Amino acid sequence: MTGSVPAEAAPGPGRHGQPEPSDAGGENRIEVRPGEDWRRVHVISPLVRGWIALVAILYFVGRDWFEGLFDPGSDGRGPLPEGVGLLVAVGVVLGVVLLIAGAFLVSWYFTRYQVTAEHVRVHSGVLFRQQRQARLDRVQAIDIVQPFLARIFGLAELKFEVADAGESAVRLAFLKLDDARQLRATILARAAGVETDPEHPEEIIEAPEREVVAIPPGRVIGAALLSGTTIALVVASAAIITLGVVFETPIIATSFIPVLIGVVGSYWSALSTGYNFRAATSPDGIRMRYGLLDTRSQTVPPGRVQAISISQPPLWRLKGWYRVTVNVAGYGVSASSDGQARSSLLPVGSREDVLQILALVLPDPGTPRPVEVFAAGMTGRDGAEGYVTTPRRARLLAPLAWRRNGFAVTETALLVRSGVLWRQLAVVPHERTQSLSIHQGPVDRRFGVADLQFQTTPGPVSPRVLLAETGTAWDLFHGQSVRAAEARRRSGPEQWMKPVPGPAAPSDAQAASEPEALPASHGGLPVPPGEPDAQLGGLPGGAPAAVPGDLPEAPRREPAVPAPTDSGPRTVMPEAPRWEPAAPEGEEGYGHR
Amino acid sequence: MRREPIDPSGLEWSRVSPKYLRVRLLGWLIGSVVWLLITSVPLVLRLTGVWSSFPPAWIAWGLPAVVLVIVVWRGLLLPRQVGAIGYAERDDDLLVREGVFFQRTMVVPYGRMQYVDVAVGPLERVFGICTLKLHTASPATNASIPGLPTEEGTRLREQLSARGEARLAGL
Repeated sequence: MTGSVPAEAAPGPGRHGQPEPSDAGGENRIEVRPGEDWRRVHVISPLVRGWIALVAILYFVGRDWFEGLFDPGSDGRGPLPEGVGLLVAVGVVLGVVLLIAGAFLVSWYFTRYQVTAEHVRVHSGVLFRQQRQARLDRVQAIDIVQPFLARIFGLAELKFEVADAGESAVRLAFLKLDDARQLRATILARAAGVETDPEHPEEIIEAPEREVVAIPPGRVIGAALLSGTTIALVVASAAIITLGVVFETPIIATSFIPVLIGVVGSYWSALSTGYNFRAATSPDGIRMRYGLLDTRSQTVPPGRVQAISISQPPLWRLKGWYRVTVNVAGYGVSASSDGQARSSLLPVGSREDVLQILALVLPDPGTPRPVEVFAAGMTGRDGAEGYVTTPRRARLLAPLAWRRNGFAVTETALLVRSGVLWRQLAVVPHERTQSLSIHQGPVDRRFGVADLQFQTTPGPVSPRVLLAETGTAWDLFHGQSVRAAEARRRSGPEQWMKPVPGPAAPSDAQAASEPEALPASHGGLPVPPGEPDAQLGGLPGGAPAAVPGDLPEAPRREPAVPAPTDSGPRTVMPEAPRWEPAAPEGEEGYGHR
Repeated sequence: MRREPIDPSGLEWSRVSPKYLRVRLLGWLIGSVVWLLITSVPLVLRLTGVWSSFPPAWIAWGLPAVVLVIVVWRGLLLPRQVGAIGYAERDDDLLVREGVFFQRTMVVPYGRMQYVDVAVGPLERVFGICTLKLHTASPATNASIPGLPTEEGTRLREQLSARGEARLAGL
């Protein structure tokens, strides 16, 4: 844990320990390759996972015993059969508990994990054994989840997601929080293709991050109160009251109870998953943290977002709030509030927040006027900013939405907007389209329009261009497949820190000047004690990058030897990308053309 | 192959084997007979006098009649439906089209294919045809080409796999 982050940094060395600065020689560390040995999750994790069972046993036993105390015919021994002593009863209960605990312990003992340079492996099971292995560079997202009880113990669960869209590929429950974060940093660094210092492979620094958006709790509450739940509550209340008045039966009022339970549950989940939401950017991708009782910290590496949707329920228009949800291959679709929270990149935010988040997900908007184009997509209608809408002749098919239904194409993404009351703007980067289809029914044909559907990985966003003019739809269909092919050829490597073959990295000179630093040598290169500080944070070769002096906290250590070419950028605080309005009169262009 | 207004221009569609129409017709025949038999039960019971009053005469006669109309309509539509299925291999992607009234054309880039299925049912095996299905990372990609002659299916599968490998992209 060297690359500590101010928000949740906990002091103290991680499991690997930290080499002292004087330990620059470090020959005896070479053969030890931590991270390749087998480990187990924390020993009390069975308790944290199985606490409900334990509580249930204690509750039932305890209640019987407690009620027995007040039974008039009893002598305080509870409802025990004659001849069975209290000690025996307690012994039986204890035995059951111990048996369960033993089973948990055995299963804990047989569950081991290992992170190698290329894979993460988990072996589990006693009778039916399972050995699972996932490639690190296939990572789609890494979550660190802390359920409430685990938080009390300082434990955390690590979830490693691949593009399976179902269960997490690897779930490690539970690790110490520091270990979990160290493991996440290790996995992300290896998945990114960061070359580690060959002498200290265990020294992996968590990539620094910069906070981009933080949501105040008041806004989360406001958003919940203004959400569709409130509309549903009002409609349901009106219906119940109307029915009660018409049929003059007050009994109908009892149906308020389930409605209220549902509404309160919905408010609660919105609050608990949106509470304390923070989004940050780092070289390892987008980081999100949130949660009231259970906390969750998600990392989505660059290029893993498959589609983005910016939506606005009708009442949020009063405050100008939006929600941003994304399709990430590892997250899949889930109806649960947990699953929905996972795929929301911004539970509620202002237009500026949305643009900030979009700039993270789509660093290159592919248009010189990103703010105007996206604003027109979020709130606008008609043809402003290059949107193509439903032709006028088909307005009968969508009397309200025909001026809003539309799409716009930038160099990097396709923007699809729809919805008048529930506004939505879906954004698909060109290289992320899995396939696309064009649909036309008999009525569409009569009006000369067609629908276009874009298939992406499973998730809450399903982009669909509705009722486009047939010729336009075909142009888009063909143009889009060409653009997608083009974008795929250009798209970066899966290992996002791997040097792209082609333009030489600025640090080539540096690497050449210190050939001993190459991994092949393993030489235990003596490094002057001052050297690490000289390298601190900056790109080797003096690239104009942010200096760590910008950081709120100072001491962050680089690997003692400057790693070749590419470990540099990862340790540099990323500049949060930002889209600037193109024209000086940008504010007037927002949504009113 | 008949050109539809939804078709893109400058594309040569390959159509599926005419044997596929026979398979579909056989399936249609079996399904139709079963449905007709099931829906005729009240009528038969009424005519034989087992049930004399319960199903009114218009239901007893109407039910099989409606089913008959639907079945005949579907049977008449079948040749056109099968004729509407087409596929085209382009340099970078595969196009699949289908539908007479509700038309659909789908394009799947080779680099997006995760795997290719070739399935053969018992009826299809008798006629020597197969169904090829493309899978991408999106379950909504529903690109299947039924009624390919077996050797054409095998060729297409190999071709698609090879091209997919050559243009393989991440997710």
